[in-house]
Amino acid sequence: MSVASVEVNGVWKQFCLGKAHESLGDWVSGRIARLFGSARPAAPRERFWALRDITFSVDRGEAFGIIGPNGAGKSTMLKLLAGIFRADEGRMAVPGRLAALIEVGAGFHGDLTGRENVFLNGAILGMNRAEIKSKLDAIVAFAGIERFLDMPVKRYSSGMYARLGFSIAAHVDPNVLLVDEVLSVGDAVFRLRCMEKMRELICAGTTIIFVTHNLEQMQMICENALVLDAGAVVYRGASRDAIGHYLEAMTHAPTTLQTDVVSGAGADGEVVALKGLGFLDEQGRSVVTLASADAVRAQISFELRRPISQLVVELNMRASTHENVLSFNSGRDARHFEGRCGLQTVTLELPSLPVAGGQYFWNVRMWDAESGETILDTPLSFPVVVDDAGRATGRFVLEHTWSHSELHGPPSAKDRDVVMGSRAPAEGSRENMLLR
Amino acid sequence: MTAMTAPTGWSELSRYRQLLLSLTWRDLRVRYKQSVLGIAWAVLLPLSMMFVFTFVFTRAIDATAVLNIDMPYALFAYTGLVPWTFFSVSLGGCVNSLVSNRNLLTKVYFPREVFPLSSIGSALVDFMIAMSVLGALMVYFHWTGAWTCTIRLVWLMVPVVVAIQIMLTIGVGMLLAMGNLFYRDVRQIFGVSIQLMMFLSGVVVPVPNDGSMLAWVISLNPMVAIMAAYRDCLVFGRSPDPISLAYAATFAVVALIVGWVCFRRASFRFAEHV
Repeated sequence: MSVASVEVNGVWKQFCLGKAHESLGDWVSGRIARLFGSARPAAPRERFWALRDITFSVDRGEAFGIIGPNGAGKSTMLKLLAGIFRADEGRMAVPGRLAALIEVGAGFHGDLTGRENVFLNGAILGMNRAEIKSKLDAIVAFAGIERFLDMPVKRYSSGMYARLGFSIAAHVDPNVLLVDEVLSVGDAVFRLRCMEKMRELICAGTTIIFVTHNLEQMQMICENALVLDAGAVVYRGASRDAIGHYLEAMTHAPTTLQTDVVSGAGADGEVVALKGLGFLDEQGRSVVTLASADAVRAQISFELRRPISQLVVELNMRASTHENVLSFNSGRDARHFEGRCGLQTVTLELPSLPVAGGQYFWNVRMWDAESGETILDTPLSFPVVVDDAGRATGRFVLEHTWSHSELHGPPSAKDRDVVMGSRAPAEGSRENMLLR
Repeated sequence: MTAMTAPTGWSELSRYRQLLLSLTWRDLRVRYKQSVLGIAWAVLLPLSMMFVFTFVFTRAIDATAVLNIDMPYALFAYTGLVPWTFFSVSLGGCVNSLVSNRNLLTKVYFPREVFPLSSIGSALVDFMIAMSVLGALMVYFHWTGAWTCTIRLVWLMVPVVVAIQIMLTIGVGMLLAMGNLFYRDVRQIFGVSIQLMMFLSGVVVPVPNDGSMLAWVISLNPMVAIMAAYRDCLVFGRSPDPISLAYAATFAVVALIVGWVCFRRASFRFAEHV
C-alpha cells in the first residue's frame, strides 16, 4: 500500500515575454501621456504558458524522473513544487520537509569557510543548529573535504564546491528532495556516490523528484517518470517507456540537430568555417533521429579559407559523459582529402549505428596533415538522438541470435549448448566499420 | 489532498528563526571579514562621523550659538549618529537585500521577509555595540566636567524607543526592498533621500522648533521624535515627550503593517521579477 506523497493536480504556469517590468521612467512618462490623452493603448504583453495542465503524483519513498528537451518546463515544475514560483492555476500538495537542490551550493558565500557555509546552507535548507552540528561530520566526510573545512569556499575547486553542496542537501533528511540536473557536476566517482546516496534516501522513505538529461541516471533510480514537451505532459508512467517518448520529443525540440547545424557556423576557425553537419538516410533524405539499425550518411560541409593538400577529418560520437563512443578518423583510414578554397563536403557512410538508444553528441575535428596543425575542433557538440527501438540497455546493439535445445539424459559439459552470449554475424561491411 | 496554502507570515517565520539568525550572522561576518579592525568599525563609523561634524560645526564654522544646543556638540552628534547609522544602514541593506540575494531568491524557498530582516538584524548588532560606547563617552564628559549625568530609571525607556525605531525600519525597509526589486530606481532615490532626511531628523543639527509651518512639517517625520526621545532619555535623563513619541509609535506600527502586508502579498512574484 503506497501513500501519495507529492500530488500535482492540473497545474498551469504562465510567464510574460519581453521586459518583466518597465522602468520607473517609462511608467511616469506613460502616466503623463495618458493624462493628456495622447497615450497609445498599451501593447498587450505577450504571455506564454510554461506549464499546461500538469498532473502527477509521486508515492512516498519513490524516485520520480522529469525529463524533456530544454525549455520543456522541467525546472519551472520543480520551482513550483519548491514554492519559489506560484502556479496560476491548479493545486499542489507537498507534505513535510522539502529540500530543493535546484543548484548545488545556492547560498554559499565565497568569503565564508566550508564549516561556516555548512551551517548557513543547512539553515537555508531548514535545519536547526543542533541538527547541523550532529550531522557536520557526516556531511564533511561524504563531501570528502575534511582538510579544507576551514578554508573560504571561494578557494574551493568547483568539484569540492559541488560535493559540499550536494552533501548538505542529502543530509537534511527531507521528506521530499527535488534534484535539478545537479549531478552533471563532479567527477564520475562522485556522481556514483550521489546516486548511491539517493538510493539510500529512497530506501529511508524520502521521495525524490529528479530532473535530468541523463537518461541512464534517470533509469537507474527512477521507477516512474514524466516526459514534458513545451510545457505539456507527453507521457507519464514507467521510466523505461519514458525514454522513447523523450526521444520523440527531442526530434521536434528547437535545440536538436537542424538548428544546431545552422549555428555550427559558430565553430569558426581561421582556416576553416564549419557550415553544418547533416545526416541522410539511404534515400538521401535528411534525418533527425538516427535509427540504430539503418544505414546513415553523415555529411560535413565547411568552407576552407586556404587550400589544404592533406586534410584529415575526424568525427567523434560522444555520450553525454563526453566519452567517445565511436570515432572515425580519415587519417587512420589512410584517407587524406585535398581541399581547395571554398565550400567542401566530406561524407562518411555507415552501414548502421549499432549503439544503444539515447542522446549523443558529435564532435568534428580537422587537421592539416602536412603541418600537423589542428584547424578545427568544434567546441559545441551537435546533439543527435539514436533510436534503437527499445532493444538495448547497455551501450551497444549487436545483431545476435539465440538458440535453445532440449537436453536428454544427465547434463555434461560437452552437451551444454545453450548459447550464453551473442555475437554479431561476420557481415563484411559491419566488420569493416568496426575495424576502422 | 490539500491545496498548498499561501504560507502566512509570522508562524512560518518563527520556524525559520534559525535561518534569520544565520543570515544576520552571515551579513555581519562578511561585512567585517578581511578587515583589520573588524567589528570595531561598528563604533568607529559613528565616532569618526562625530569627529567630522564636530569639526565642521565647532571649528570650521562656529555654529554652536546658532544651533542652540544645550549639551557638548560631540555628545549631541554621537547620540544622533548612533541611532541614525542604525536606521540608514538598515534601510540601505534592505534596499539591496532582495536583489543581492537573487541567487537564493530564485533557487531556494523560504519566507522572503528574512532578507530585509537579516539586514536590519546585522545593523542592530552594530547599533548595540556603538550604544555601549556612548556610555563611555558620557563618563568622559562627566569626568571633564563638560556634562553631568547619573544613571536614571528613565533609561529603561530606551528599549521602547529602540523598538519603535525597529518597527519603523522594518515597515519602510520592506517597502524599499520590494520597490527596488521591481524598479531599480528606488535605490538611487533612496541614496539621495536618506542624506536629506539626516538633516531633517535632528541628527547632527537640531530641527527648527519655532512654531513655523516648516517646523510643523518637519515634525511629521517620526525620526524627529525618535531622535529627541533618545537624547531625552540618555543625555538629559528625563522622560521623552509622550505625545510626539506616541505619534512616532503609531506611525511605526502603521508602517510595519502596511510594509509587511504589501511585502507578503507581492512576495510570490519576487522570484520571477528579480
